[in-house]
Amino acid sequence: MGYVAVKGGTEAIEASIDRLKYERLKGGKQVEVSAILSSMRLLIDQVMSEASLYSPELAALAIKQAEGSMEEAVFLLRAHRSTLPRLYYSETVEPERMAVERRISASFKDIPGGQLLGATHDYTHRLIDFSLLDEKEEERNQWMEQYEAELSALEKATGDGTYPKVVEYLRNEGLFESFEPDNTEPDDVTKNVFQFPASRSERLQILTRGQTGAVTALGYASLRGYGQVHPTVGEVRVGQLPITIPAHGGEDEDDSYYIGSVRATEVESFVPMPSKGPDGKQELRFEIGYGICYGQNETKAIAMSILDQCLEHPGSDAPPHDEEFVLTHVDTVESTGFISHLKMPHYVTFQSKLDSVRNTRKGRDGHES
Amino acid sequence: MKRRRMTEILIEGNPELAARLASEIRHHYPVRELVAPRQGLTMIKMRETAKQSLFYLGEVLVTEAKVEIGDHIGVGIVAGVREELAGNLAVIDAACRAGLSETAGWSAMLEAEEIRLADRKRRELAALEKTKVQFDTMEE
Repeated sequence: MGYVAVKGGTEAIEASIDRLKYERLKGGKQVEVSAILSSMRLLIDQVMSEASLYSPELAALAIKQAEGSMEEAVFLLRAHRSTLPRLYYSETVEPERMAVERRISASFKDIPGGQLLGATHDYTHRLIDFSLLDEKEEERNQWMEQYEAELSALEKATGDGTYPKVVEYLRNEGLFESFEPDNTEPDDVTKNVFQFPASRSERLQILTRGQTGAVTALGYASLRGYGQVHPTVGEVRVGQLPITIPAHGGEDEDDSYYIGSVRATEVESFVPMPSKGPDGKQELRFEIGYGICYGQNETKAIAMSILDQCLEHPGSDAPPHDEEFVLTHVDTVESTGFISHLKMPHYVTFQSKLDSVRNTRKGRDGHES
Repeated sequence: MKRRRMTEILIEGNPELAARLASEIRHHYPVRELVAPRQGLTMIKMRETAKQSLFYLGEVLVTEAKVEIGDHIGVGIVAGVREELAGNLAVIDAACRAGLSETAGWSAMLEAEEIRLADRKRRELAALEKTKVQFDTMEE
């Protein structure tokens, strides 16, 4: 059988796109982008994180266009990002400058500065709230007015919103290894195709833009025994990171441009590891697994911290310690794109497989007869 | 006032302030637009706390504008889609670089806005501190 080139389907595709629009509009009610921005904070955070593009406005628009599909929304943002020029690189963001909105430790009850719960679903009943079916604007406004009145009656705080890192106190005790700041310019996986073994900067960049579900699943696998890392969370913090751009030719930090801030979740996980002490005897010391992502997405950041630690110790045969296994499978666009391509016409490929199967069967049947 | 401090006040504060300062300059000087407000990306370089190394956290959408006043180029950069603010920041930056006399009178307005911002922040922090856990040790 020879190859036959075919074409067609243009009219069907156009009709399909109309059908897609019909599905989006047929309910008769449309959610405004401003409503998504105002009420879908955590969904927006997840889309921005997986797209590796911080823009709540564009993420909300992408969510509307994608009818709420995460993978489509992330794809749209990544595609849009590729049309824009990269104008600047920020100055190094030092994590201790985060203006903290939430900060907890699972390792210590008493941490300097205290545990700040902030806004979290952690302590809510996971019961459907049917009162939201008929939430009245008047009731909402009344609640907001009352809450804001209570806040305005509070005595104003005196701090600047930054908190000391829990890990720094343990470093001062010598329980963690201290590192001098390493200002080696990072590699950028969006500019150059990375090769194995990946650098630490490439690993962190790939994990922070990884799909929430994939990063979580692989981190979970390590906890369940398909890996050797089961940490204690030293600190989870959510807050605003200030972003600055250096002035042209300027070295003075005070001369830089402040451009705004991005909300991020940052995690340090503590992992006990065997090591040799100064006397050559085996002892335990702690290492840190690091996780961070755009927005408030604590599960992803904690899972990233587990995978960071797994990849720092590639000796194990377990998949979460294999950087090729982890890094090539966590990207949303790559994984969903490759799976989705199976829907595309594979007529010739399949015809070839079909021929092989038929020939095999013919041969076997002929032999048997 | 240093640029880092000034741009934070103008971006986090009421955008009317940037509009007023830029308008004052436009009223007295010819401002040539070099780059109309446009969207682009800024890559965020971040330090991680495990090994103190650097990596790229991701990109942030920014609006950028450039103007020229005399021989002085001003740049306005702000995160998000904020074309008017980016244009005004560019004019203010060019005016400061050129040392125009009008800029000398801006400090009071900027400082007043900075005080208002600090007040707002302290209220916000007080609200967050309400969520701080007070542990009680349970008696046997």
